[in-house]
Amino acid sequence: MRDGHVNLLCKIVAILVMIFLVAPLLIIIVVSFTPTAVITFPPQGFSLRWYANIFTGTGKFMSGLVNSLKVGVLATAIDVFVGVFGALSICRYNFKGKNVLLNYFTSPMYVPSIAFAFVLLQVYSQIGGITGMTRVFIGHLIIILPYIVRNTVSVLHVFNWTLEDAAASLGANPIQVFFKVTIPLAKPGIVSGGILAFLYSFDEVALSSLLSSPRFVTLPIRIMNYMELTFDPTLAAISTLLILASLIIIVLMDKFVGLDMFMK
Amino acid sequence: MDRKRQAFLLALPASLALLVFFIIPMVYILFKTIAENGFSDFVDFFTDPFYLDILWTTVRVSLISTAVSLVLGYPTAYFMARTKSRMKKVMIIIILFPFLVSAVVRSYGWMVLLGTKGIVNQFLLGIGLISEPLKMLNTEFAVIIGMIHLLIPYMVLGLLGVLQSIDPNVEYAAYSLGANPLQTFAKVVFPLSTPGIISSCVLVFTMSMTSYVTPKLLGGSKFRMMATMVVQEINVSFDWGAAAAISYILLAVILVIQLIVTLSTSKYMKRMGGGKNA
Repeated sequence: MRDGHVNLLCKIVAILVMIFLVAPLLIIIVVSFTPTAVITFPPQGFSLRWYANIFTGTGKFMSGLVNSLKVGVLATAIDVFVGVFGALSICRYNFKGKNVLLNYFTSPMYVPSIAFAFVLLQVYSQIGGITGMTRVFIGHLIIILPYIVRNTVSVLHVFNWTLEDAAASLGANPIQVFFKVTIPLAKPGIVSGGILAFLYSFDEVALSSLLSSPRFVTLPIRIMNYMELTFDPTLAAISTLLILASLIIIVLMDKFVGLDMFMK
Repeated sequence: MDRKRQAFLLALPASLALLVFFIIPMVYILFKTIAENGFSDFVDFFTDPFYLDILWTTVRVSLISTAVSLVLGYPTAYFMARTKSRMKKVMIIIILFPFLVSAVVRSYGWMVLLGTKGIVNQFLLGIGLISEPLKMLNTEFAVIIGMIHLLIPYMVLGLLGVLQSIDPNVEYAAYSLGANPLQTFAKVVFPLSTPGIISSCVLVFTMSMTSYVTPKLLGGSKFRMMATMVVQEINVSFDWGAAAAISYILLAVILVIQLIVTLSTSKYMKRMGGGKNA
């Protein structure tokens, strides 16, 4: 092959990029088992003390985790309805300005989340009396909506709408058509959009750091606060658990919905 | 119920939520800032070398990170698009995997590696290549490394989509007509993948311009980019006018880039005759 060494060059770059991507994560996993407070590599021995420290230490990681899950699940659950309805309104009907409406629904993607966070902070401080959870929740509700709308639209875009008519002509009422035909066929888009939206909320920092209150702090902010005070391997232990959670999610997704959804 | 009303009702929840919690606050705070201080905060930004330097740092870091991500991401995506081996699946998982891991965790990995007592310094001191630890963490270098780590997956996934849609037979045709690999790349593959390159670069550049976690954790307190400066103005200087100016200027920069790219790519697509691969 004449293009043999071009392919070889690409292969070498690809492998180096893979090493570059994985290295910091592997390092975190390895050092999480260090017995000493100062990180040395390779670790001198093996210990699970930093894992125990996640639960017993000063980091309050568990309350952070609960808060992150609360906000993420609630915002995703509501946005799945709001976003899927919005996507249906764009794809199911013919009217002028469909593209304008789609751009409107995905507009939070184009706004730097730090700018939106600052704006919400100012509005909240004028209104007053809003709890930390509500403040963060409203921010997340808005910034994750585009992911659900976009992924659902990308499925509905190629949807065969005559299937709805067929179901109706076979005697299904509109509600049956919606739940037994439309929703099952749109499911890949809804599920992938929902997963992306939840992960975005779970990892979100800009909004959470400006809007959280001392009584309501999400997990990423807990980790960042801990970093500023103590730089011990507890951070590696909690990070390892988060990396493992991501790995499990990716394996489950590969098995049940496929990984193609990320490649759009 | 007629179809028009159905469409309206379905669009209503999302439209209202965005209007009340997003559009109105964004517009209201902009007008409030201007009503209270006039345009002085915006004028200050563009006349104060301190702020202009932050804008330039943000643009510089984003340009370098985008360029390196493209240079490394393109061959990677090309290899993944063309290979038939099982490595492709592994690579897709490796690309998606850090994609799902929080930016905080990924920055922490680089802190462990690049710190003064970090693993890279331990290694270099150990083999005697350096006698004093290098200062890598809390520098622009660390921010750029962390940023590239964050951006490459987006770049590769974006390019992979376009490169997979280019028929390999087009390349074989070029070879059989006597083109060498370089010519084939420059005259066939590269032009066909330009729409993907532009859209991936814009995405990645925008993400870098607006990123907050990576510059905060890897750049340290003295390294300032636009997003970290917003938070500093709020929490350290208590200057909300300046925070507003930086926020809206960052937003304006992003919107202008999007607008230019949308306009110029639609022109480009027209010239290319429609453009199926967009």
